[in-house]
Amino acid sequence: MSDVRSALVRAHHHRRGVRARLAALEQEVQEQRQLNRRVAELTDVVAELLVPLARNEPAVVDEIVERYRLSI
Amino acid sequence: MTLTVEPTRLVDGTGVVVPLTATGPITVSFDGQHIWSFRPSLDGVPRPRGWFVPWPAMLRPYLDGTTRVTVLGFGNGHVYVDEEVRLGAGEGRVVVRDGRGNPLAVNKVGTLSRAFLSDDDETRSAILLGTARVLADLTEAGVPAYLNYGALLGAVRDGVMISHDCDTDVCYLSRHENPVDVVRESYRLERAMHARGWRTSRMSGGDFKVALRLPGGRTEQVDVFVAFYVEGRFFQLGNRSGSLPHDVILPLSTVELEGVTFPAPARPEAMLEFLYGAQWRVPDPSFRYLDPPDGVRRLDGWLRGFRSEQPRWHRWYATQGWSVPRRRSTFARWVHARIPREAVVADVGCGLGRDSVFFAATGHRVVSFDCVADARSRTTKRLRSRGLAPDVRKLQVNELRTVLAAGVELGLEEGPVVLYARQLLGCIDDDGRRNVWRLARMVGGSVFLELSTGSGPAQADGLLRRLDAAAVVREAEAYGARVVERTVGPEHGPLDQPDHEITRLHLTFAKETHV
Repeated sequence: MSDVRSALVRAHHHRRGVRARLAALEQEVQEQRQLNRRVAELTDVVAELLVPLARNEPAVVDEIVERYRLSI
Repeated sequence: MTLTVEPTRLVDGTGVVVPLTATGPITVSFDGQHIWSFRPSLDGVPRPRGWFVPWPAMLRPYLDGTTRVTVLGFGNGHVYVDEEVRLGAGEGRVVVRDGRGNPLAVNKVGTLSRAFLSDDDETRSAILLGTARVLADLTEAGVPAYLNYGALLGAVRDGVMISHDCDTDVCYLSRHENPVDVVRESYRLERAMHARGWRTSRMSGGDFKVALRLPGGRTEQVDVFVAFYVEGRFFQLGNRSGSLPHDVILPLSTVELEGVTFPAPARPEAMLEFLYGAQWRVPDPSFRYLDPPDGVRRLDGWLRGFRSEQPRWHRWYATQGWSVPRRRSTFARWVHARIPREAVVADVGCGLGRDSVFFAATGHRVVSFDCVADARSRTTKRLRSRGLAPDVRKLQVNELRTVLAAGVELGLEEGPVVLYARQLLGCIDDDGRRNVWRLARMVGGSVFLELSTGSGPAQADGLLRRLDAAAVVREAEAYGARVVERTVGPEHGPLDQPDHEITRLHLTFAKETHV
């Protein structure tokens, strides 16, 4: 009887463990998805702000940065 | 039509009860103004007395007074309720209108908006012509853009706008399949619209609103939604996803809506069936989307998450903004005594600008930041009305590019910049807070923070949370902060009410000299 009980307890813990791992896995997948927007934002900063800053004279830095701010 | 009056059921501050025999869409009006539509089996719970359908959350703040509540079966003549009802403790009539007095109703996504029903011909025409211009500009910017959702439904079904609909939505089909490219394309299109003179506001990585200026000074928004495929599965913002062949959309066709020609999906009927189901030809004001949850999860993960609480803040300012004191906070005085006269004050999370005004009036150059458009415009007006030069900018602490842009610009300021953030950290999440530290590192120098700490409930309708001061300090130190001064004790709270524990921090960050 005690063997059955301990097997049931183990199975119960296993189920709980699987559920917890599934929830954690879903959360981790969602974290990975969120990297898409982060990468897009960083690419945007490089392409639309840093590249124009590097290409132009220091005198127009303020203008480039302001233009970028107003476009986002 | 013959009206059959059924026995009156309960209407109170919690919701409406209709008979269990009520199956179709049901409409609710207050003093004759359409307010809400619902479907009992979808929105309610069965109780012994009938379906109990709770008031939508967005409507509840308005339920304070007396009104004639009329609950009708849509299109079948049943009158379930038609009586004077007192809701809440208010003395007057219940008023569900916007700041300009326009009637509002609960729309199909559960928020309040103005319905076309209440618009005159001139306004409807301006909305339609403006929407056509938006579509033309998107097409010129290089994407196949088409009319969609309620406006498409109205065009195909009757050739006129649907009276209970509240906006026009347009979509474009992206050729990209990677969410990174989808987001970047949406950024590019927003810039293209800017360059054509439109005002826009970003809602997610895949949609932005374009503001239409209408006669009488009113503004209406057109949503620009992306549609795209990922590994053969179709996604379209709002939250739609599923199986939809390419040839339903391309090549585009045209539809007529109230005399205006619009680009439309190749097979508009198939698009409408995808959106609204096989019954799309039958009017149903209570229609609600039943989007696949895994599709919503994907769209949330790929495109959203940087402005989750912004609508609630917008609502809070609209309904509770009056409770914000106009006079400068005691923290502003505390900080003022600690900064040099030539310091530039970056008021991060400026709210309605009470402290921006104080710093500007005491001779500081002030740059004010907030994520809520209404807060920014009220801060601008307040500074202007005092003869002070407003420099009020958007900062979305969860949108890294706005943080980086703010950091670069503040780094170019001539005087020493101090970051001033009163009660900001309690309003933002972990990611947002980490971006504040990134901003502080970019700018360098002093950072002044005031936060509600210790135990106790969140304030401002749950939007302003109490924090663990030690954890905040540890995190800031991990980002390179040094604590110059730290005070803790009873002080004025966010709205100047007595607060048992307010922590004030003066931190300094060494300016980053490398990337």
